Amino acid sequence: MRQFQRFLTIFFLVVGIHGVYAQSPDPWKNDLGPIAASDWNNRAAAHLLERAGFGGTPTEIKKLAAMKPAQAVDYLVSYKKIPNQLPPFEESGIWEPGFDHFPSSRPAATEMAKKTGESMGVQVKPGGNRTLQPIADKYLYWLRASLLETQRVGYWWGNRMLQTKRPLEEKMTLFWHGHFANNEDKVRDYRKMLQQNELFRKEATGNFRTLLIEVAKNPAMLVYLDAAVNVKGAPNENFAREIMELFTMGAGNYTERDIQEAARAFTGWYFKDLTFVQNNDLHDAGLKSIFGKTGNFDGVQVIDLILSRQETSEFVASKLYRYFVREDVSPQMRSQLGKLFRDAHYEIAPFLRTIFLSKNFYSKDSIATHVKSPVEFVISTYKKLELTELPGIVDFNDVTDVMGQKLLFPPNVAGWPEGKSWITPGLLMIRNNFIYDTMFAPINFVPRDRVPEQFYQNVPVAEKLSRGLDVTSATKPDGKEMVSMSSTADREEEFNTGLASYVAWRRAIENVKPIVRAPAKVNLTAMVKKAKCQTTVDVVHLFVGQFLSVPISEQTQLQIAKLLESDLGTNDMSQAQSYMEDALRNTLHVILALPAYQLG
Amino acid sequence: MIHDQFSRRRFIKTLAGASFVGSFAPMRSFGATPVTTKKLVVIELSGANDGLNTLIPYANDTYYKLRPKIGVPANKVLKIDEFYGFNPGMTAFRELYNSGQVAIVHGCGYAQPSFSHFTSMAYWHTGVPNGGERYGWLGRLADALDRQKNPHFLVNIDERQSLAVNAHDHMPIVFDDPNRFARKGLFQSRGLLDMDHQMVGQSMQLDFLNQAEASARNASLKIKNAWDQYKTPVDYGINPMGLNKIASMISAGFDTPIYYTGYRHNAFDTHVQQVELHQRQLMYVSDAIAGFLKDLKRIDQDRDVTIIVFSEFGRRAAENTSLGTDHGTANHMYVIGAGVKGGHYGQAPSLSDLDGEGNLRYTTDFRRVYASAIENWFDYKNSKDILYGDFEPFQFWS
Repeated sequence: MRQFQRFLTIFFLVVGIHGVYAQSPDPWKNDLGPIAASDWNNRAAAHLLERAGFGGTPTEIKKLAAMKPAQAVDYLVSYKKIPNQLPPFEESGIWEPGFDHFPSSRPAATEMAKKTGESMGVQVKPGGNRTLQPIADKYLYWLRASLLETQRVGYWWGNRMLQTKRPLEEKMTLFWHGHFANNEDKVRDYRKMLQQNELFRKEATGNFRTLLIEVAKNPAMLVYLDAAVNVKGAPNENFAREIMELFTMGAGNYTERDIQEAARAFTGWYFKDLTFVQNNDLHDAGLKSIFGKTGNFDGVQVIDLILSRQETSEFVASKLYRYFVREDVSPQMRSQLGKLFRDAHYEIAPFLRTIFLSKNFYSKDSIATHVKSPVEFVISTYKKLELTELPGIVDFNDVTDVMGQKLLFPPNVAGWPEGKSWITPGLLMIRNNFIYDTMFAPINFVPRDRVPEQFYQNVPVAEKLSRGLDVTSATKPDGKEMVSMSSTADREEEFNTGLASYVAWRRAIENVKPIVRAPAKVNLTAMVKKAKCQTTVDVVHLFVGQFLSVPISEQTQLQIAKLLESDLGTNDMSQAQSYMEDALRNTLHVILALPAYQLG
Repeated sequence: MIHDQFSRRRFIKTLAGASFVGSFAPMRSFGATPVTTKKLVVIELSGANDGLNTLIPYANDTYYKLRPKIGVPANKVLKIDEFYGFNPGMTAFRELYNSGQVAIVHGCGYAQPSFSHFTSMAYWHTGVPNGGERYGWLGRLADALDRQKNPHFLVNIDERQSLAVNAHDHMPIVFDDPNRFARKGLFQSRGLLDMDHQMVGQSMQLDFLNQAEASARNASLKIKNAWDQYKTPVDYGINPMGLNKIASMISAGFDTPIYYTGYRHNAFDTHVQQVELHQRQLMYVSDAIAGFLKDLKRIDQDRDVTIIVFSEFGRRAAENTSLGTDHGTANHMYVIGAGVKGGHYGQAPSLSDLDGEGNLRYTTDFRRVYASAIENWFDYKNSKDILYGDFEPFQFWS
């Protein structure tokens, strides 16, 4: 009963705030001064957990609300004090030394093998048909295996978000991933993606200079922004451009010349396996002129030049603010945030502490105005359902991908555009349908990482090979005309990529550990029992309070309660205890289908 | 069941006063006057269609030297003039060409081309190569053409939204199967799921979400109705590429000016034994486009529609060792419609003067075709605001 009263309190508090909402401008807006202890309550604590993490369970909210505001903020920001026993990523063990100099393309792989007799540690066949087949197999195998392993890293990371006792650590890791956005499609090595992810986590709330230098020397980044071709005499501007445009200053604050000169400073930066190396032979140590200053700058010195610019502090601080607080940043706020960040010497933690403690952060303009990203949406849903393990059905990578945010596969170096762009009418339906599938798991779920979809030819190829067809016939696309075709002429060729694709798929699922495919273990009955709900209205209030950040009209809540009552055949929850689970799930689906559920 | 239905009716009765959105009013009542009556349908051939085996330069010996095994023999080419002919699968397309409705734009591409499907496709979607632009060129076009934010301005037939239609102000309608452009939800919850909960004015973000929700609810019903009511005698072939769904919407009176659809799933990525597969796919494309135009003529809408066909890049000029082709650069685009002046546009890239990688050198920035649609089809004369640069438009329309 006490639980229920608490929810009622939250509910009326919410409605109370809502009353003010639509009328006068909130004096707290843009005030970076700290809130008072008397301003601290459940709703404020829930808001802090929404933003600094992935939402809170009632227990977590209650725990935080019992602290003083500064204590609560510190609890989230100074998280290193909190022990966090989470398992490291469990590797499948697919890496082989031969992948160290992974060819840039399949033709590059086979051409190299033709010249040198091997590639990726695989020898060319001395005779017979398809002498280069092992090379093609190996090439496609690694692409497939690394992709699958990266998806496992995505699962591992998603689980961390769900299980961590340091939510801000994962939230900041996600921020840096979107800021320094690298994609496995191009990096083509799950180890480098994992290493980068661990870097983001290690430096999550540390010093931005330290992080920026580490990122500039990070193998995944070096691959992603073409460090291989940035050499003395032929500088490549890709990294120099993005570090200024996307990572630090923002477009319009530098010249093309600055980029060309900075590119020279980064020449010779490369890596060996997972370690940064500076190749002095390829480094251009000559004079460079950047932002009107001249010197024999190297990469780190260029980074310091960039950090000395006011625009950099403002750009990065505003981006953090938009991620954690809200989208609109006035020019005054922008310069205020920049100053705050500079005064903190680019230390992230004190900057965030000020933000999270500020009146502005708890103003009506900030609360429940953030459109949850797909990852936030999915993880916070699981979290509020009090799941302890990321479900295997539906697939976490697929479902976030179809909503527009697949971890470790951002669309391009600019990362994910946040906010409104997460939403389209179709995507809203997809979000709704994710909720439905969480409540009522599809019983025909197919793991698409293991079972090829129709547009891959691998299944028909495997099937035809098993029927004794020669490789040429078996890899001929589409099965229709094959029925009448006799298997006679196997072509003489160097290799067959249709065959390689099938072999690669088969070996990849042999060698990469599977993701456990179990549906979400939802138990709403326990939740309702624990809260001692007596009526269907109590249940709706419980769910609304636990899941939504936006107040819902009493009329709507009563309508939903009626639905539950009709499903249960009673308004008395004590009568329905033995059979209420599916009806509760249906009720929760209706609540989480509300557009308001996108906001946190 | 009977009990359920009864309680549902009773339940809905208790919701008196709640407004159920999803009227069956004709579409034109939506905006005031439509911004334009013209329609553009963009078709994406995903996977990089082999241009040299689509429009075959059969009179050029170099072509057969580059493709000794997979080159289409001159006697099989569907000739359109003394230099070029279409792939043998494209009978219907040749008829369209012969009737003067197909403009071929040669050598389309861009500088510093990407050979990644994903990256290059993003460049074509945004019209900003090497840019990291977040909105699509059609999205930006919609924002420029229509200040009223017409909820039906952009339609994208696909499993997920293409970057091409991503707009700042417009909410594209994205669906695949009209019967499944629907939220999942149990029978007894439908009334509540389809209800507008009138949560207005709490925050900008919530208002926006409610609009998206209304659009989804609204559009899904109308699109399903349009589809259910649509009957056509026209055969679109094996893969209609969503064009029949677009025809159903046009037929139902949707005032949508921009449609986006495609041949999906990297189908044109023909690295291996491509000849028959490619021919078959081109036949599907050709049949679908010809069927669509025929259907539009039937409902007297053909002069209001222009189609643009593109692929993210072409393929390597020379064949590979697996009777297929690898990723390349420049490619043709096609501009098709009853109002189009058919023929050749732009300059065909040389087959003998390839770049260091053995690729065609592009001769026409693909954004010239975008600029043509923007300036000369939609009559919006500042294409450079949308494309972030000056691209000389072609005049494809008579």
